[in-house]
Amino acid sequence: MRLILSDIDLKYDALQLKDTNFIDLSSLQIKNCMGCFGCWTKTPGKCVIRDDAVKVYPLIAACEQLVYITHVVYGGYDVIMKRMLERTIPIQQAFLRVLDGETHHVQRKVALKDALIIAYGADGSQERAVFEKLIARNAKNMNFKQYRIRFCEEAALEETLRKELDAWNNRS
Amino acid sequence: MEQQILILNGSPRAPISNSKAYAEQFMENCGSMAVYDTITAQNHEALYAKMEQFSDVLLVFPLYVDSLPTPVLSFLKEWEAHLPNKRPIISVMINCGFLEYAQNDVAIEMVKLFCKRNGFPFGSSLQIGSGEAILNTPFRFLVNKEIKKLAKAIINKQYRSQKVTMPLPTSLFVKASTKYWIAYGEKNGVSEAAMRTMDIEET
Repeated sequence: MRLILSDIDLKYDALQLKDTNFIDLSSLQIKNCMGCFGCWTKTPGKCVIRDDAVKVYPLIAACEQLVYITHVVYGGYDVIMKRMLERTIPIQQAFLRVLDGETHHVQRKVALKDALIIAYGADGSQERAVFEKLIARNAKNMNFKQYRIRFCEEAALEETLRKELDAWNNRS
Repeated sequence: MEQQILILNGSPRAPISNSKAYAEQFMENCGSMAVYDTITAQNHEALYAKMEQFSDVLLVFPLYVDSLPTPVLSFLKEWEAHLPNKRPIISVMINCGFLEYAQNDVAIEMVKLFCKRNGFPFGSSLQIGSGEAILNTPFRFLVNKEIKKLAKAIINKQYRSQKVTMPLPTSLFVKASTKYWIAYGEKNGVSEAAMRTMDIEET
């Protein structure tokens, strides 16, 4: 299954993609993670906040191809995407494992992923470099088998998404 | 003594957070020179006004998904629309539950980018690894020592980059961490086996 998470509404229907879930996060009601550890120590695998995020994180866990479309701020995800990603904690366990010599959380039933991150609004090479470091770290915590990052302007998002998905389809 | 430093706790669970414990430790080394407050969704504007009275701001927060927690991110973004004429010097004390303090690097770089973009001088940073656990272990003195140095650095305006974690082999840390989380679950009546479920709720 392929999942596209976007922090902006796109003319997605025009892309006519099959077997793809497209979620416009800006249209959902998602609260901030409270850091309560409930999803680890009270109701393992299930967030105690029952808002729209609970419809999204199981899809993130299950998908094998994952696309993030996100605005960049200070070299990281902007608020809409970041808020959702913080709510994916239920797909991990509290327990730690060693990965590439570092401690990371054990993943629950999370598929290995090919990930594509389309990042718009990054202001210059320094901000892009920080964002690249962030995604390299995320790859370890989000079960990315491989990933690629494409920077573009907001006006070019749909074109960039179309090109990248075409390239993905041609490879697979 | 002049109040110099405003400590802002950006943890999503500020009242019961490890960040609060670290901030309290910092305050013990500052006396009346530091004032503590928390970032909430409702108090941004009040904090922007309050910060004008301080030469230094210390942001204290945990690492969330490899970067700044959303409350801190929102606070910084909104601050851009309320920039003061006199910019305080921004320092950071960040903790993560992982053994490796370097997992905090990206978050520090993000705050530095915010500062650069908006004309705030960046001051000191203290990166704490094993931050969920270290305060409840005999290694507490290590983090307390670094916090004392951090306080001194900010008071004397001799800013520096600091790091601390528990001096344990990775495998031993993982074992200790496992024990900690099992005990945490048991307090809630949840067994280790239940915590280890691979199942995630379905949509």
